[in-house]
Amino acid sequence: MKVQLPPKENALYKRIVKCYEHKLYKNGLKFAKQILSQPQFADHAETLAMKGLILNALGRRAEATDLVRRGLKNNLGSSTCWHVYGLIQRSEKKYDEVIKCFRNALKWDPSNLQILRELSLVQIHTRDLIGFRDTRHQLFKIKPTQRASWLGFAISYHLLQDYEMAYKIAEAFTKSCYRDFQPEKRDAMATFEYEKSELYLYQSMILHESGDVGAARKHMLDHSTEITDKITYYETVGKYHLELEEYGQAESVYRKLISFNPDNRFYYDGLMKSLRIEDGTTEKVNVYKEIQVMYPKAGLAKRLALECVDGEEFEALLEPYVINAIFRGAVTLFTDLEPLYKNPQKVEIIENLMIYLIDNMERFGKFEERDVERAPVTSLLWSYYYLAKHYDRLGQTKTALKYIDIAIEHTPTLNDLYICKSKIYKHAGDYPAAVECMNEARDMDTADRYINSKCAKYMMRANLVDDATEILGKFTREGANPIDNLNEMQCMWFLTEAAAAYQRQGRWGEALKKCLEIERHFNDILDDQYDFHTYCIRKMTLRSYVKLLRLEDVLHAHPFYFKAAQIAINVYLYLYDNPLKSQSDEEQLNTENLSPAELKKLRNKQRKAKKKAELEQQSAAAIAGKKDHHQKSKQSSEEGDSHTPSSTDELVPEKLVVEPNPLEQAIRFLKPLQSLAAQKVETHIMAYEIYSRRDKPLLMLRSIRRALKVDSENDVVQKLFASFKEAMAVKVTSLPEPLSEFMCQELDKLGVA
Amino acid sequence: MRPRIELGEVTVHNIRQLKRLNTVVFPVSYNDKFYKDVLQAGELARLAYYNDVVVGGVCCRIDTTEGQRRLYIMTLGCLAPYRRCGIGTVMLKHVLNYVEKDGNFDALYLHVQINNDSAIAFYQKFGFNIVETKTSYYKRIEPADAHVLQKNLVKGGSKGSKAVVG
Repeated sequence: MKVQLPPKENALYKRIVKCYEHKLYKNGLKFAKQILSQPQFADHAETLAMKGLILNALGRRAEATDLVRRGLKNNLGSSTCWHVYGLIQRSEKKYDEVIKCFRNALKWDPSNLQILRELSLVQIHTRDLIGFRDTRHQLFKIKPTQRASWLGFAISYHLLQDYEMAYKIAEAFTKSCYRDFQPEKRDAMATFEYEKSELYLYQSMILHESGDVGAARKHMLDHSTEITDKITYYETVGKYHLELEEYGQAESVYRKLISFNPDNRFYYDGLMKSLRIEDGTTEKVNVYKEIQVMYPKAGLAKRLALECVDGEEFEALLEPYVINAIFRGAVTLFTDLEPLYKNPQKVEIIENLMIYLIDNMERFGKFEERDVERAPVTSLLWSYYYLAKHYDRLGQTKTALKYIDIAIEHTPTLNDLYICKSKIYKHAGDYPAAVECMNEARDMDTADRYINSKCAKYMMRANLVDDATEILGKFTREGANPIDNLNEMQCMWFLTEAAAAYQRQGRWGEALKKCLEIERHFNDILDDQYDFHTYCIRKMTLRSYVKLLRLEDVLHAHPFYFKAAQIAINVYLYLYDNPLKSQSDEEQLNTENLSPAELKKLRNKQRKAKKKAELEQQSAAAIAGKKDHHQKSKQSSEEGDSHTPSSTDELVPEKLVVEPNPLEQAIRFLKPLQSLAAQKVETHIMAYEIYSRRDKPLLMLRSIRRALKVDSENDVVQKLFASFKEAMAVKVTSLPEPLSEFMCQELDKLGVA
Repeated sequence: MRPRIELGEVTVHNIRQLKRLNTVVFPVSYNDKFYKDVLQAGELARLAYYNDVVVGGVCCRIDTTEGQRRLYIMTLGCLAPYRRCGIGTVMLKHVLNYVEKDGNFDALYLHVQINNDSAIAFYQKFGFNIVETKTSYYKRIEPADAHVLQKNLVKGGSKGSKAVVG
């Protein structure tokens, strides 16, 4: 029912919209009331919608949604109503719905810039790249004078990997917009130059990704004076020269880069490649020596030289390097030399040298007997410290402890020594002793947050989660519960360690709570990119923007997520196998006077009956044959999504533990791992465990196949494979026809492999 | 290259290092009240760093017994491997500078076990003298007797005390 507002009410309506935009919600509601309290306008669609929008901004979600729906029902042809409905959905992160609403809004008002813009944001956020490109095309056609239209348009093609189009658009943009532009003020000039520079770098990126390195290189050289970020310029050009095998030019670029920063490893690598020097030749060492002469303070050149030589040459270079470090009291000498430990010969040389130096210092107080100056007293200390770390690395715990104790006796006030001792215990697996040492170190310097965190981490490894929380509380916000504060700060290492500790102690609910909190943080980080879609285009940081999008695409590949998912899946598997009934149920069954053993039997019986019924259902569904693969994974992902808890629900351990569908929850955690952590054999092992409980033979087969491809020697995989073959040998005849034949074929293939 | 010797403040964050130091260096143990007072001592308490490692410490207090205003050195010492490196000198000079700037002290004094020859020689170099010997001063160590080493000052000026250029 379309109602038209007379001028007075129309003016009121326009003011409501203004109030919403300026966040004057109370006034907006007042005006809305004025319109809606009049009986002939009580159902005016747009007013209802706007009122709903304001209520949503005030947090009254349920009322808001209700009002907006009413408004929409009253006028399905109102673009405003659809727009508002879309906005409401967006605040609830139901992005697919948002796209539908905005499209509907556009049906009735196809040139509405605001809706188009918002639609494009949601499309890029959900990676609907084709939709994004089309919307951007629209925006470009409607408003070609706006910079963002051009850039958004170019980016949309770039993301779809249509490099030619993207480059053309960007090129046209630079030519037209920048040719005659002359800013007056100084600051504007600086911004203008920065933006132009970024644009050229972005174009170069597009060219490079399209595979035409030659064009990319030419582009960079053509605009070299206009690119203000010199370091990026040289690094990129150097890379291009190497890829095009233009070694002479590459060499001069890398030498220039080294002159900027002689401590950057990548520049040395680049230089070596451009000089065509292979590893392990004296030529390489000579280059390093040459650079040391030019830049005497370049520590990296000396260090890299150690990697290229062996035997006596190595010893000759090593001695002054080590003596210099120990003289300066460099705590990090061991960490610095550790990569050399892959070579046992070098390990021996290092060990002998350290023992020799210690001997000299103990006997003569000097590094070498013939030295005139005495070595500083701390040199002996750091040498003992080095050997402690050295033997720890070689797994000789007793000797390591011996040396660190000598060091502690020499200088008991140095807390680095206690940290080292603690790590020795940790590597040997003795967590309680490690905690004790680390706590002592922490106590000596309570202003050091690193030691505090390490101490808490070791406590958690020793399953002392409460003690750890107390320790961490010394650095979290005043007055706030440490656990809440750490969660708010998205402190992932704490959450993963706590989850693991709870899992070890069998505190399933609390472990799950931590895992779900980690999942939420990852989702929050994904959502955070929303604001950057407009911001980056406005600020012209296009390269970083594209890299951000790509990072967000693989965010769940991060090890923290993997750890959390692994713990969650294993806990859910355990809960599936050993369901914990709630209190009331327990009591009910108890009144039947069953002993615990009988209780377990009864539960097992119940579960088996349930499984049988499910199996019969499934084998009927499995007749579709090979296509099931795709179908089943699609099904489980839909089921998984509907069970995702909204981000504002509180997580209660007791409720998490009696989760009615643990396997579905497990699958939800598994999904990102399957796409992003497929190179880890654990992913496929966990997948197999889940699918075998769901009795999906095809998915089990797929998991086994993938697991074997990653690591065929793995014990666990072999065991699971054997049990799978056994189970299939029994079942294969009872499977419906196309399935059973397929299974036999596949098993034969695997059997031979 | 000479090693760097520096002094640093004693704070609630690093007081444990001082405790550890004193436990290792001195045969006498000090109770919690001692360390509580040290935190309020300001310039009269310092840690000594050798190449950024804590190796020594000094704690003093203002003493108004016997009708005089004297500075009493409670502890001054450093770890064994680092002795005879000039650390004790740096610490004592800090204390001497303090009393000179203040200008209102009659003397500085401290107790030393009678068999601690190196300590006695050290303080004598700076103008301290043995003014008294207290028998059974220490309760739990042998020998139990202690010398009182004192250095008198002239109030309001630096006359009579050694030049104390840091």
